Amino acid sequence: METWFRRIFLSALAMISLGSPAAQAQQSIYEPEVERREFNEADIDSENFEIGAFVGVVSIEDFEQDTVVGARLAYHISENLFVEASAGFATAGQTSFEVLSGGAPFLTDEERDYTYYDLSVGYNINGEVFVTDSLVLNSDFYLLVGGGSTEFGGDDRFTISVGGGYRLLLTDYFALRLDVRDHIFNSDLIGEEKATHNLAYSVSATFFF
Amino acid sequence: MKTSAALLLMMLFCLTCSPARAEGVRVQVMDSYADMHTGPASEYPRFHVVEKGEWISVLKERTGWYKVATESGKSGWISARSLTRTFAEDGEQITLTQPSFEQSRQRDWEFGLYAGVLENTTALSVSAAWVVTENIVTEIAYTQALGSFSENQLASVRLHHFTFPEWRFSPYVTLGVGQIRTTPRANLVQSGSESRTNDLLEAGVGFRYYLAKNYVVRLEYQRLLALIERDEQEELESWKLGFAVFF
Repeated sequence: METWFRRIFLSALAMISLGSPAAQAQQSIYEPEVERREFNEADIDSENFEIGAFVGVVSIEDFEQDTVVGARLAYHISENLFVEASAGFATAGQTSFEVLSGGAPFLTDEERDYTYYDLSVGYNINGEVFVTDSLVLNSDFYLLVGGGSTEFGGDDRFTISVGGGYRLLLTDYFALRLDVRDHIFNSDLIGEEKATHNLAYSVSATFFF
Repeated sequence: MKTSAALLLMMLFCLTCSPARAEGVRVQVMDSYADMHTGPASEYPRFHVVEKGEWISVLKERTGWYKVATESGKSGWISARSLTRTFAEDGEQITLTQPSFEQSRQRDWEFGLYAGVLENTTALSVSAAWVVTENIVTEIAYTQALGSFSENQLASVRLHHFTFPEWRFSPYVTLGVGQIRTTPRANLVQSGSESRTNDLLEAGVGFRYYLAKNYVVRLEYQRLLALIERDEQEELESWKLGFAVFF
């Protein structure tokens, strides 16, 4: 757009100057053209959000294990602190009692859907990985603690999640992550209420934006 | 029809062919020197020093660190603290700003996460607020409270009034309307889960404390009135403590 204007302007200028050679003699139209961009802080790209998807394995206490898939969205507050929301989905298997007795199932298929979300606060311990002498990647080890909810067996349960992970930044804005988290909630699905530990391992690919 | 399609195509073409965003913003360092780190944190090693008067391109920002490139082709991260005073290309002095308390007063949006207690059950909340004036803030909030007997979901629209927005530790009063949905535990209900939805009125007080950069801590106490039947009401009490980020 700007170039069009400039072209029109310059050709108009050229026509005028051609029309009046006296003016051309008086002043040169070839003024040094220094392109000065106006400073705008908004032109500096801010990359404090991190978004990504994960896939892994979750072991659902008493109900076998399954592949878990989900998404994460994090906001990095400082170089060490971040907050993160995650949501995941898996399907529970059968209890050993159901398998051995071959009797009536405890849960319907729908109730076996295991869906959770958590809101966590994380702390980064920054570091570097020396792949070769010249290839150095930034990385960090992080610890997480949070709360959320797990929908399983027809109910939503308040869930505490604790864990840690490792983030390897392949570029400034693309990272690979390994996560281990324990999702703890009280359940009375098979008898008396007890705290269940549901350990999830996952690999994620995330982008900073 | 044909012309509009052609126009649309042209617009698309213009969008794709418009010059890519310039490679960063060129500034001249005014401070005596600035350390360049290999990563966006003080723990990362320093490997280069940018001198006073040197021109650098600021490429991006992350959590108070700027990724910059020097004219000699070195690139690394400089903390925002050591790059506050610079000259722009037109010779004007510029200040690269980082969020501060002053900016907190001029915020437009605030997003929060809270943990708390709603009538002896653990509750988690999220909120999104739009700041109308320095004193008046509108907010939408969603809370999930998971008890041993039932699950409660609350959604509300609220209005906060900050009497002293110039205080770092700023009290506010809040009023709101919304709905509450209560679902009994599946094992307590024989014929499937029956949930009920009721209107909700809220009133409360809170404190907002500016912590650092662009985040604040909030503490809130609320009395909730669930309008269960025409003449029956249920009063609930809610405490929450949380953390919010403003933009």
